[in-house]
Amino acid sequence: MCELSEKLIAWLDHELADDEMAQVQRHIQDCNECRCQLHAYQQVSRKFDAYLDAVVASKAERRMPRWVPVLSIAAVGALAAVAFLVFLRPRVEPLAPVSSVKTAPAASVLGPKTAPVPVPIRKVRQRHAPSPPPEKNQVASWPPSEPAIQIAIPAESMFPPGAIPEGVNFTADLSIAADGSAQQIRLRPRLVGFERRATQP
Amino acid sequence: MSGDSIPIALPLSRLASDACEVTDLYRELRKPLLQYLVCLGLSTDEAQDTVQDAFLSLHRHLASGASQENIRSWVFRVAHNRARNRQSSYRRRFGEPLDVEIDMVLDQATPEQVVLEKEKFRQLGKAIRQLTESERECLLLRAQGLRYREIGNILGISTSTVGETVSRAIKKLAEKCHV
Repeated sequence: MCELSEKLIAWLDHELADDEMAQVQRHIQDCNECRCQLHAYQQVSRKFDAYLDAVVASKAERRMPRWVPVLSIAAVGALAAVAFLVFLRPRVEPLAPVSSVKTAPAASVLGPKTAPVPVPIRKVRQRHAPSPPPEKNQVASWPPSEPAIQIAIPAESMFPPGAIPEGVNFTADLSIAADGSAQQIRLRPRLVGFERRATQP
Repeated sequence: MSGDSIPIALPLSRLASDACEVTDLYRELRKPLLQYLVCLGLSTDEAQDTVQDAFLSLHRHLASGASQENIRSWVFRVAHNRARNRQSSYRRRFGEPLDVEIDMVLDQATPEQVVLEKEKFRQLGKAIRQLTESERECLLLRAQGLRYREIGNILGISTSTVGETVSRAIKKLAEKCHV
């Protein structure tokens, strides 16, 4: 091992005093071993630089993709929310007091059914729902050409026992498109006992 | 790594010379600083924030009439200390695999060359991770074109210690990578 081999890297970096620079310069012309070492150190320095460039490029590349999953989830969520609002808009209205029911009774929304009703859903209604007054139909916001049906749903089928006072049921109003698919659903609470009084004077 | 504009507003009428100096220095040092900080383990965003912070400090430093000697190492030292304060990032240095860019770099090589180069790169990465913190920092700053004296200023060690540390680190890498 040459005594000057310790100065090779400092020589590469031009960090030696002038006389030492010249001394090493002369030495490496004669010493094959030091020339080889010098070559190796140069190679390592170059590869180290390339490695740093790769680290920077790697991190710059990873910047954008980090957001892709977040944006995808947000987009899917937004689509789901839109679909929910358009196709399955549940509307649970608060129970109206007696006086207001007389002017705008919740039961009056239960209009007559003018359309064929899907059988499985109809079964539920037949079991649990009181007959709606056939003369009232205030579902004015729905397109008149679209038939509407109602499904009575017992409260205990949706909520744990005791969560809803006895005598309260729910009615789902559905509009059916020409192809038979459900277009709109409205969910309304109904006071069964009160409704009987209101509709049977 | 976009945005070449100076992130600070300077009162040009009073500090025109300082502004010119800061602008020139920003052009010269932005890229090396970013590379140094990213290679220390900061994210690209963190590195950009840190560089902007460092130049804001430089502006205040010059505006206060402080010494204008060793400005390059002064900026690097500020950035280095800011990076150190982000401890969680600082510990991640060199911890990430680099397969993506190696593919990019070796686009025109044969499959055998690609495999060989990848293996060499992997060995180098492993060897770099095995260096001491001081060795790694010295090599990083040396790779940014800083003199040993400047590296000593930044890291708070003597010039001769920098020389010894750089020499030791390079020899370690050469030995482990069989260059």
